[in-house]
Amino acid sequence: MDQLNIEETVLQARNVHKTYGTKGNTQHVLKGIDLRVTRGEFVGIMGPSGSGKTTLLNVLATIDHQTDGTILIDDEDISKLSNSALSAFRRNKLGFIFQDYNLLDTLTVKENILLPISLSKMSKKKAESEFTALADVFDIKVLAHKYPHELSGGQKQRTAAGRALIHQPSIMFADEPTGALDSKSASSLLDVLEKVNQQRGVTVVMVTHDPVASSYCSRVVFLRDGKIYSELYRGDKTRHAFFNEILDVQAVLGGDHVDRI
Amino acid sequence: MLTVFELALRSMRQNMKHYYLYFFALTFSMSLYFVFTSLQHDQAVQNMTHPSVDFSGGLQIAGVMLIVIIGIFTLSANGIFLRRRSREIGLFQLIGLSKGWVARYLMIENILIGLGALLAAIICGPIISRMFVLILLNLLDLEGIVGISFSVTAAFKTVMVYFLINVITSIQMIQKVYRSTLLDLFQADKRPDLTKPPKAVASAIFALLGLALIGYGYELSGHINKQLFVNALLMLGSIVAGTYLLFRVTIRWCFYLFRKRKDGHLGLTNSLSMAPLMHHTKANANSLTLITLLSAMTITMISMAYSFYYSVEQETRRDLPYDFMFENEQQEALSFQSELEEEGIDVKHHVVEAVLTQGVILDPNDESYKFEESLLWLPAEQLKQTGADVDMPPDGEAILYNAGASLSGDLDKRYPTEIELEQHGQTIKYTLRTVMERNIMNLDASGTQLLVSEATMDKIAEQMAGTPDYQKIHFDTYQVRDKEELAIASALYAKSVSLDRLTEDFYSQYKEVLQMTGMLIFIAAFLGLVFLISTGSILYFKQMTEAEQEKQSFKTLRQLGFDVNMIMKGIIRKQAIVFLLPLSIGLLHSIFAIKASSFMIRSDTMIPASIAMSIYTVIYFVFALFTIGYYRNIVKNAIS
Repeated sequence: MDQLNIEETVLQARNVHKTYGTKGNTQHVLKGIDLRVTRGEFVGIMGPSGSGKTTLLNVLATIDHQTDGTILIDDEDISKLSNSALSAFRRNKLGFIFQDYNLLDTLTVKENILLPISLSKMSKKKAESEFTALADVFDIKVLAHKYPHELSGGQKQRTAAGRALIHQPSIMFADEPTGALDSKSASSLLDVLEKVNQQRGVTVVMVTHDPVASSYCSRVVFLRDGKIYSELYRGDKTRHAFFNEILDVQAVLGGDHVDRI
Repeated sequence: MLTVFELALRSMRQNMKHYYLYFFALTFSMSLYFVFTSLQHDQAVQNMTHPSVDFSGGLQIAGVMLIVIIGIFTLSANGIFLRRRSREIGLFQLIGLSKGWVARYLMIENILIGLGALLAAIICGPIISRMFVLILLNLLDLEGIVGISFSVTAAFKTVMVYFLINVITSIQMIQKVYRSTLLDLFQADKRPDLTKPPKAVASAIFALLGLALIGYGYELSGHINKQLFVNALLMLGSIVAGTYLLFRVTIRWCFYLFRKRKDGHLGLTNSLSMAPLMHHTKANANSLTLITLLSAMTITMISMAYSFYYSVEQETRRDLPYDFMFENEQQEALSFQSELEEEGIDVKHHVVEAVLTQGVILDPNDESYKFEESLLWLPAEQLKQTGADVDMPPDGEAILYNAGASLSGDLDKRYPTEIELEQHGQTIKYTLRTVMERNIMNLDASGTQLLVSEATMDKIAEQMAGTPDYQKIHFDTYQVRDKEELAIASALYAKSVSLDRLTEDFYSQYKEVLQMTGMLIFIAAFLGLVFLISTGSILYFKQMTEAEQEKQSFKTLRQLGFDVNMIMKGIIRKQAIVFLLPLSIGLLHSIFAIKASSFMIRSDTMIPASIAMSIYTVIYFVFALFTIGYYRNIVKNAIS
């Protein structure tokens, strides 16, 4: 499943601006971002606090609206969609994972994962096989009937990842997915995300401040003051080499404290 | 530095949004208590009502019931508030404030809210009581407006109720603060009550036991008037226990089986209705049981009271078929008639000639029963001429007319039976076909009323003449054509009859019963209103708290691509379960309770009971709509 060669565009952002606040007291957070993500890419977005990385993710992921510029996902201009069309779009094309998991406490692991397709026309049989496949990948099969409060952080995040992928989205957005995890759980989650990205060709856009996490990506985009500062491609480099490269850029960028592996 | 007091005031201001309904409900129930006690101590009101109507006694019982419901209400509401604030309670302790400090802080806040409600109650009280007196006078069909004077005793009693509320809630708060660990406080809303699957065998047994207990209670309701006290207690006990098991086990078990069968494919609507309900099974079981039982009680109470009020005229007619009656008092009858004519009141006058003898009505269930009583033999032909609606019994047979028959019980098994008459050493038997639950001569006519054909009566007169206590009786019956003139005629009647005789006429009896039942419905309706507002508020608070806790879920659902309407579908289903389940079970309970207590009333309770039930349901639904509206706002705010 080598889709990297096809170079099909999944996400295309052109000159995206975002300002907050009212007249006289505006904050220009995104100042003209251009970004293209192709199918099967694993893109990391990094940058110091306040550089606008989470805002960019929210805008790209339709959770927030850009002030200016266009964003196309699967050739659809998301700013032109009505609210209900946007909901349907999110339901069908996008998957999310968050730092604080956002699982529903009242639902079991399996119910949480199957929730996004509850309104789709997917047959129960297909849903079941899809669930089994994902539960295998994320190693949560034995947890299927457990509730979130019985799970560890890593298990919760793997459940959230399963939920983000059950409807086979075009693109998955991850906002600091390892932020609340210990390093062991974090690397096991990243291993699986990398595996899913490579084996199933899932496109991932991940915001992180952790260079270890971004060293799993195929490309890392650095933001600074609401603009793209630079980009790094992993290419054929080992993860360790890529990690060091990321650290170098980060040292120039300044801001976040950096851990060495 | 902020003092405890200032902090409490500040947090109260912030929490006002959640408190206003609590404040309102507390104010309302306390002002009602104040009004009830004011009425109870007001001489003017009592002087207006009939001396036989125990008005202040009724109000006193109502006052006790009010205290009980206010207690239950504050306990539940306070419990809900404490649960939603457990994080705050934990935080205070985490930053090093002592448990004593936190308890004090909560108590000050609560005392202030109660104090506000108390003042509002005593200020609004006189205004509300004026309104109440107007309604009351209207119900009792009395003229004149009395101003209720401010009663110091009533105010004092209300203050005592306020202290009682504070004692209860303070104990609850101290328990919460001292008994729960920090971990409990922080995870109060995260941790489900019961996630383990119910034990199959035990659940099945208890689930069925719940249903069986309710069924047993319902079955008892059919024959409760035998051994009234024991059966009523048994019925109450089995229905209360059954209802609790129903909510705690049976419904949970059904939900669990349903969810298990879905095997993870729960769907959005169920995820938002069934899952959160199962999440808090224990707390939900308690409050739903409470609400079901309170609803059942309220509905039964107002239905019965309204049935009494509604059927006053019918009931009085059963006792007194004629507006006026004279028994062997032809002189008095004549003078009454001429006075009526003077007043220009048009009446129908009929004479009924009857026979009174001694005799025994045999009891087929009890051979040894030989109780001799006065029997009044009334001729059907003559009664028909007065316009009475009576059947024509065949010769030699009698029909018993007794308006109080069902109160003496055993209606179906005792008839048909036989009547034994002793005549100069010989025994004559007549067949007694059946019993009718009304009188064919006014209540105060001497003897047990038996309807026979005129020929049979003549035969009995011939056979029994000369026996002790044999008597021919001459009845003069009067029906006033224009019922508007009854009041004047009733006053004339009271003058005409001799004072030493116990007499009843339709109009004065009707008035007296009307006042009694009017008081009953007055008390029942306002108690019912307090009950309804309490139950509605408890449900509303609970849902409000849950909505608050579910905010994050709504945000997540939005990210997953669900919009407000899809989410609201689930929420409406949840509200339907939360509101409809207790209402429908409560209604069912009350139907059987009304059936059980309908031996107290002879007229059909169907129409008045359905009216009372519909009114209750409508007001109850207003709370459901409020809750859904509140939820919609929460979802919209969480989503945008």
